[in-house]
Amino acid sequence: MVFILGVSFHEGQLVKKALESFYALGPTTSARIMAKYSIHNLAKVGSLSPKTVTSLTAELSQMSIESDARRQVQENIRRLKDIGSYRGRRHAMGLPVRGQRTRTQTATANKLNRVDRRA
Amino acid sequence: MASISLRSLVRPSLPVAPRIQPIIIAAFSTTSLVSAAAPPAIKNRKDLPKKTKKTYKKKQNIVPVKKPAPGERKAFRKRIQLSNNSALPVAGLDALEAQTMARPESSGRMFAVPDEVVDQLRALEAFKSTQTWNLFRKPHVLVRKETVELMGRLEASLEKKEAFKCVLTGSRLSGKSLMLLQAMSYALLNEWVVIHIPEGQDLTNGNTEYSPVPDTEPMQFTQPVYCLKLLQNIYKANRAVLEKTPLKQDWSRLSATLKPGSTLADLALSAKESEFAWPTLSALWTELTQPGQPPVLLTLDGLAHINKVSAYRDPAFNPVHAHELLLVRTFVDALSGKTKLPNGGAVIAATSQNNTHFHPSQELALSQLEAGQAGKPVPKPDPYERKYDDRVYDALKNSTVMRLEGVSKEEARVLMEYWGASGMLRSVLDSRVVAEKWALGGHGIVGEMERASLITMRM
Amino acid sequence: MATIATGLRHAKCAGSIAAAQWRTAVLPRSTFSLAIRSITSDSQKTTPPNLEVEVAASVPIPYQGVTHARVVPATPSYFSREPQFNDLYIGISKLLTKYNHLPTVPPSEAPQMPWTKLEEMRAQMGEPIKASHYAKVMRVAKRLNLIEPSLRPQEVKVALTEFTRDINPFLNMPNPITIDKFGRAVGVGKRKESTARAFVVEGTGEILVNGKTLSEAFGRVHDRESAVWALTATQRLDKYNVWALVEGGGTTGQAEAITLAVAKALVAHEPALKTALRRAGCITRDPRTVERKKHGHVKARKMPAWVKR
Repeated sequence: MVFILGVSFHEGQLVKKALESFYALGPTTSARIMAKYSIHNLAKVGSLSPKTVTSLTAELSQMSIESDARRQVQENIRRLKDIGSYRGRRHAMGLPVRGQRTRTQTATANKLNRVDRRA
Repeated sequence: MASISLRSLVRPSLPVAPRIQPIIIAAFSTTSLVSAAAPPAIKNRKDLPKKTKKTYKKKQNIVPVKKPAPGERKAFRKRIQLSNNSALPVAGLDALEAQTMARPESSGRMFAVPDEVVDQLRALEAFKSTQTWNLFRKPHVLVRKETVELMGRLEASLEKKEAFKCVLTGSRLSGKSLMLLQAMSYALLNEWVVIHIPEGQDLTNGNTEYSPVPDTEPMQFTQPVYCLKLLQNIYKANRAVLEKTPLKQDWSRLSATLKPGSTLADLALSAKESEFAWPTLSALWTELTQPGQPPVLLTLDGLAHINKVSAYRDPAFNPVHAHELLLVRTFVDALSGKTKLPNGGAVIAATSQNNTHFHPSQELALSQLEAGQAGKPVPKPDPYERKYDDRVYDALKNSTVMRLEGVSKEEARVLMEYWGASGMLRSVLDSRVVAEKWALGGHGIVGEMERASLITMRM
Repeated sequence: MATIATGLRHAKCAGSIAAAQWRTAVLPRSTFSLAIRSITSDSQKTTPPNLEVEVAASVPIPYQGVTHARVVPATPSYFSREPQFNDLYIGISKLLTKYNHLPTVPPSEAPQMPWTKLEEMRAQMGEPIKASHYAKVMRVAKRLNLIEPSLRPQEVKVALTEFTRDINPFLNMPNPITIDKFGRAVGVGKRKESTARAFVVEGTGEILVNGKTLSEAFGRVHDRESAVWALTATQRLDKYNVWALVEGGGTTGQAEAITLAVAKALVAHEPALKTALRRAGCITRDPRTVERKKHGHVKARKMPAWVKR
């Protein structure tokens, strides 16, 4: 078990996958972080030196990921709602925001679009 | 009347032999009657055997199937099998000796590879799973005209005290990797030190660990894990030579075990951790390039992969050119003549046609070199191509290009006779069959001839 | 009811009969001009126009020198269904009776004749010739054709031309493949959508397809084998070099087109190999091709799924 930013990862897991498991950390950012610490594509979490793990944790703690990123998204939506814009209303109603059709295929919008957005 | 007719229809009883053994009336059993549980007595409807509902679902496989361990399937796929007990042993073929392949009279003959050399080659990972070693009892090689030529050049390098730099190229399955193997066995038989990088792709596809070398501009990288493995392979293959050769310089800063009288083998063994692999490997290479050390053969398969931009990124996220990887750079410096080999020796790179990508710079450089050697007009670069890489040209410009194509019909005949003697070729072997397979194999491309004639045998 | 129905039917029939009487125009037989013995030919032709005044004085006596009271057709076949055809039949039958004694040759040795087909004969004569009649005539004509050619009378030859087509398809032969001054024979072969040209010269068994070796041209070993099958089957693979050009279609088609092309060129070099090659299946062009797609079908035969509504 290796702890990165307080999360435990199995030793056999790829570093890339481990990094991308954090909210708001995608392929681009993970590739950049790995390049920064010279970690190759197929590196496993178990093969990281303790020094690298600490510096990874330090690096991640500087970034706005997980709860910070969620709060940012929620704030943006709340701002839209507060100024009374159309997009804010659509978020509140749980409907598509960018002019998509609503006759069918609105499951994603139903799931995601709300004022206190979770995912 | 009816009884008679009925009797006629009854099957006639066969005469039965009288029994010798008496018929035992009681059933044979070792358990007592009491211990045998009687079926429960049925008293009411509940005791009746319950009807089970018939299901047409697939039965669950109760026995858990043992899954192969991680890496087991890949190991099976990549395994190197060098003998086949079902194949007939071929008698009457000489084993390779130190100078056999360099002699012109051995051209067009099959030779057995000696067992100790086979072990060394195996340690160097010179055998490939795509080659058909697993069809024959014992590894044998055909000495071609080109083989004799190459070995002659290797021999000449010893006298000239400078490296023979060569790029093997040619069409698919024409035997480039096998030529590398022959060069390696020649070197091993002549007590050279052989360093072989079995697949250039492994170095540049970003699948092995890398670490930056501090204070280098542009930043250079080492590949510790790969280097450690390479070092171990070098030690395993060249143990006898390395143990005989003392160190010329003092390397005690690398490891405390290295004293002034130590040998190269001690140096190779001193790296236990991957962090020390690259310093040790570079120390070994420095030692080997000192005058008075044994000659070196440095080989690499899959040239196109080490001439491109690698899959690695530097800390600033810029792509890293393969030549910035120190192991690759060592090879490229040797190939371009930047590093001299004062004891003679050779640097041979083989291109691959199976595992490759379109590489305009390399194609151009090789075609220019080839045309220059043959005295033909040198091809000009394509004016619309923007991706020419000068570093590739610089790496290749001092090397000789050797093109491998099909074998001649005489050589093909020798090879097919060997197949026949091993029991792999069913048909009668005459000049017509040889000509047919030679034509089907694209004018004697060895791998294609194998496909055309041994394809049913391949597992 | 029944009577009314029959009555109506009768009326309808009557109408159609009546209609037919004025609608059908009697078509003149253009090809067949009737030779009719004219009644007045003598007097009218000899009488000059300036003697019209004297006509009254010298009134000719009617029906003088006339044996028949009505117009008599030139041939008795005039009253048959197919007069011209009937004439032909009569003529040819007479010839047969006349020359029945002449020696004949077996049918296999008789000269090949491009016989006129039934449809063609109908179109030529403009007569509705019955197939059975046609067969009967042709039997006689073919019997006449069996007469020993050197002894055949001119009369018969002329008569038989009536039963032959103007164009002789048996003379329409492909140009024989020749070997040029460089020793090359060029054969052309086709299969599916592919066309191949093979230049075959005596040599050592080198084969190039579109400038590439066999292994580069065909990835499948089976295709390589079928490309050189004509040479392998006749055991000539090490005796000839082949330089082939092939285009169109896929790998199988290209390989088998080369087989055919090489076989044809090989026959030019060694005509004796033709039977062996035919036995190896290298002479006959495989006529199977992709069946065309039809409208209303999803593919050539496949129909859309049946839907109730």
